[in-house]
Amino acid sequence: MADPTRRVLIVGLGGLGCPVAQVLSRAPGVELWLCDDDVVELSNLHRQTLYADADVGHDKLEAAQKSLTFGGAEPSRLRPVRSRLLPGNARELVRSVDLVVEGADNFATKFLAADAAHLEARPIVHGAGVRWVGTAWAVSASGAPCYRCLFEDVPPGAQQGCSEAGVMGPVVGFCGALMADLALRVLAGDAEAFGALYTYDGQTDRLRQVPAASRSNCPLCGSSPSISQIDEARYTTPSCAA
Amino acid sequence: MITVRIPTPLRSLTGGEEQVQAPGETVKAVLDTLETKHPGLRDRLLDDKGVRRFVNIYVGDEDIRFLDGLETKLKAGDEISIVPAIAGG
Repeated sequence: MADPTRRVLIVGLGGLGCPVAQVLSRAPGVELWLCDDDVVELSNLHRQTLYADADVGHDKLEAAQKSLTFGGAEPSRLRPVRSRLLPGNARELVRSVDLVVEGADNFATKFLAADAAHLEARPIVHGAGVRWVGTAWAVSASGAPCYRCLFEDVPPGAQQGCSEAGVMGPVVGFCGALMADLALRVLAGDAEAFGALYTYDGQTDRLRQVPAASRSNCPLCGSSPSISQIDEARYTTPSCAA
Repeated sequence: MITVRIPTPLRSLTGGEEQVQAPGETVKAVLDTLETKHPGLRDRLLDDKGVRRFVNIYVGDEDIRFLDGLETKLKAGDEISIVPAIAGG
């Protein structure tokens, strides 16, 4: 009999990864692979809902597992991956799971996750939040339309940091919940979950949905793709940009 | 008149306005007009090759890359949306 467990890799346990983990950790038959190597900072607490004051300075993975277990998650279904998603481990990690959910705070990791998911034919849910705006969308295992169809490549030049840009807690909470919803729909086999880009504006409470279209010249999923492996030089960018 | 929805990261260039209006028969014309009112906005959206690679511009629900790009024709009441890549969480 086939193993009914569905493995989900959550890349980044920040403001988006926390609500995603809270929801998916209670989903029947889901095993969470929690990928982060950071420690909890005081500035995280307003939006990263798995952590408390006492966790400041401590390992995020340990704090997250403790919080999720306290909330009812089965400890054996929480698998810590004490690392960032890196060019050297991305494909193996992605290959090991059924779904990737990334809420990374930097473009390099977002493009790396997108590329690895496509190359390993795994579905992926992307999410991002800066200031009052957040986005979420799901890409199918066939990989089109993909993250590079919309955003093509890592933006060049210096980008504004998280501490300067700010991230509103309710915005990432909302988008994290939307990412969890998309993840559950993907796990349930709902083909309608793919291909729509959701943008949430926390200042107007407007949720906008626009269709994402495949680009025939996309370097990842186009008709003549140029990306067929993970090349480390392709993934260099500052963190947390808008 | 065309309504242009400004994403949060670019609102510092529009005095905090979430949407602005400008006349124009094409997307390019509207952006050119906006540049005179909100200097710097065009450079955040366009480079010498056209729309920057990490920015998407929609007319209604249609990505202009799949229409006529910056030469996409507009009619009164159309709404332009700007969706830049963002990273954070």
